[in-house]
Amino acid sequence: MIFLSMKTNKNESFETIYRQHHPMVLQMCLGFVKGDQDTANDLSQDIFISVWNNLDKFRGASSYKTWIYRITVNTCLQYVKKDKKVRRFSESELENQSDTNHTESSKQSDIPELYKAIGQLKKIDRLIIMMVLENQDYNSIAEVIGINAINVRVKTHRIKKRLESILKQNTHE
Amino acid sequence: MSSDFKTLQSHWNTSKNQLHVSTIDFDNLYKKIRTKEKENYMFYYGTITILLTTLIVISLFFYFVAPVQYTLSRIGAGLMIFGLIFRIGIELKSIQKAKHINILDNSLKATEHTIAFHKFRTMIHQVVAPIIVILYTVGFYLITPEFSQYMPLWNIVFIDVSYIVIAVILFIVIRKGVKGEMQKLSDIIALKQDITE
Repeated sequence: MIFLSMKTNKNESFETIYRQHHPMVLQMCLGFVKGDQDTANDLSQDIFISVWNNLDKFRGASSYKTWIYRITVNTCLQYVKKDKKVRRFSESELENQSDTNHTESSKQSDIPELYKAIGQLKKIDRLIIMMVLENQDYNSIAEVIGINAINVRVKTHRIKKRLESILKQNTHE
Repeated sequence: MSSDFKTLQSHWNTSKNQLHVSTIDFDNLYKKIRTKEKENYMFYYGTITILLTTLIVISLFFYFVAPVQYTLSRIGAGLMIFGLIFRIGIELKSIQKAKHINILDNSLKATEHTIAFHKFRTMIHQVVAPIIVILYTVGFYLITPEFSQYMPLWNIVFIDVSYIVIAVILFIVIRKGVKGEMQKLSDIIALKQDITE
């Protein structure tokens, strides 16, 4: 009976976390895999499986959001190791993919271009800049990545410049 | 598209709000979690199960079916069995290293543990696996003189030749494993450099 109640509590907590953070996680996955919807869905699913598996270990030392960022960033980086096995997309395929997988309203926005530009950064830089886009402060990002906040600030400045130049270059092409 | 960061942030947040899903099939998600748990279990214990089964079959074979009498043959059987036990031990150590990679650690720490794991895997493929294959091969050929007394010559020749074929396949598999691990290792080392630079 107690076990059943604990399980229900875990389910409830998990479902709340999922509802609250799924859009953020999926968006980061989309940015990481250059807007490929299928891969981003697989990746976000892996992230929430890790959330479920580690939910009992959450001690509240940081916020749920920071905790989920850690899982998201580490899962994306581990994906680096196996992404050579998954199908690769050519640039043209990628552009089509980005177009077809977004709703009409988002098609009008520049988000597929942003995903594409983010995807041209180094893997760790993609994750850092997406956390900056998510309005995370340098200390929180430093906690997730494991480097100091000053280093994060320097890196962010460099990544912003690089992203800006990629976007300008892509616009001219 | 505008490269102004505030505008990008605004695009980012607008797009995120459109990703909101109204109905979520949690039953399906829980089903996938259970499947993933089984896959993880197989990832960790699949190889050990196969090795353990081989060990039991070989041990039973030498105990009940073909209890070898010559000292040379006994050494051979011992080498084959020892090679397998050693391999199982290494696999257990590998699982222990894999479990050090904690998804809840910060990225730098998780990357360092991943590097340690792949260095260990590379060492297994480069050093341990060939030693085990050599032990197993020497053991196998030490047994054949005694076996030849109970089997026709063509049978022994067939077994010996087929073992060479297996050895060649094993060599190719080990070589592929080494290459794969080296590639993963260099990718992760590059990632660590990107984090710390």
